[in-house]
Amino acid sequence: MNLDFSQIVPYIPFILEGIGATLKFVSVSILAGFILGTILAIFKITEFWPLKTIADIYTSIFRGTPLILQLMIIYLAIPQLTGYDISAFLSAVLAFGLNSAAYVSEIIRAGIMAVDKGQTEAAKALGVPYRSMMLNIILPQAFKNILPALMNEFITLTKESALVSTIGYLDLMRRAQIAGADLYRNFEPLFFAGVIYWVMVTILTLAGRYVERRMRQSD
Amino acid sequence: MIKADNITKVFGKNEVLKGISTTVGKGEVVTIIGPSGSGKSTFLRCLNLLEEPTSGQIYINDEEITSPRVNKMEIRKNIGMVFQHFHLFPHMTALENVMYAPQKVKGLSKKEAEQIGKNLLARVGMTDKEKAYPNRLSGGQKQRVAIARALAMEPEIMLFDEPTSALDPEMVKEVLDVMKGLTETGMTMVIVTHEMNFAKEVADKVLFLDDGVLLEETEPNAFFTNPSTERAQSFLEKVL
Repeated sequence: MNLDFSQIVPYIPFILEGIGATLKFVSVSILAGFILGTILAIFKITEFWPLKTIADIYTSIFRGTPLILQLMIIYLAIPQLTGYDISAFLSAVLAFGLNSAAYVSEIIRAGIMAVDKGQTEAAKALGVPYRSMMLNIILPQAFKNILPALMNEFITLTKESALVSTIGYLDLMRRAQIAGADLYRNFEPLFFAGVIYWVMVTILTLAGRYVERRMRQSD
Repeated sequence: MIKADNITKVFGKNEVLKGISTTVGKGEVVTIIGPSGSGKSTFLRCLNLLEEPTSGQIYINDEEITSPRVNKMEIRKNIGMVFQHFHLFPHMTALENVMYAPQKVKGLSKKEAEQIGKNLLARVGMTDKEKAYPNRLSGGQKQRVAIARALAMEPEIMLFDEPTSALDPEMVKEVLDVMKGLTETGMTMVIVTHEMNFAKEVADKVLFLDDGVLLEETEPNAFFTNPSTERAQSFLEKVL
């Protein structure tokens, strides 16, 4: 069998640097997607229809088209249309953040709807303003219920991040491909990258379980 | 203190309240009784605008709260409400539940709110459960915390929406005792209840609602011994 892991040893530092590159844009994307997703979710549950419509159209577009297409449009079309030479990093953060926001907003919306209506009434009866009610009463309860679904979304985003290799961003995936091309052997570097992705996702899963346990304190 | 003038409420095609008018004086305790679906709770919920009346006016201290210009949040600060299913905030301890509104709505410091919270929990006999989360409390304990939470805003009026209906029988008394204590402080109270003995004992006035109509409005002795309408008579025969 033609298998020789020793050959990738010189490329290990090069590939490992991809972890930082991947984590950097994944974490920014998750954060951006989460914040924007929360705002969109609140738009979706308002009785003010223009906001609701905006949020619904947004979700429809970003869930209804391929992520790789969104990434290409941002990376290639923005320079063509505006003359602004967008970096691969910024394109990646924008595409993944905007895309993730659509999914996160649906998860959070469902979470908010699942909170007992009595909670809203109790807060209203006390004269609590809408903003405080959302931030202190409704969202904490919603997040507790949707944490598994949110973790799932973050894990998906982490893995899908490999798509940025297509716009030349030097992430884990791209570096494994480059090493493979240099060595004329692809299995070893790809396998190595696969193990790293798996470890990252496992750490994320464990972190999610830990947060979940902490939040279940009041049960 | 409270004046309701010809209140109606329609849900879809269903007319739940058909023109209810009544007044509640300062310090008065009024109980609302009647069969299920008679509109008792809906009427009560109109008083703090959790439901908006379809037509009619409600005045509190001579201010029309049903006017579209009115700030509902301001009105509600002055009206405490206790629900059948408690609706405590599950992610907060008993004390935090009571402290929340004084801090967020009145802008009191944490220390001031804590003082208020501890005093109120002592008053409802829950001092030893200050740090307990709601799901560690029994129904009766939850309801006592909920009463303390409503009182923390120092409202002039307290509304009770079937406060003992969701409780196991042995816990009803502890909640009614707290409410009885409250009547002695001169609090204005409107109570929807199925506890007839309690209604008889504490009420200054009994309202009997049936099918969205206010059929009787009398002092409790007259109502329980000699109701003037046939509907009230047959209702009392069934529940007493």
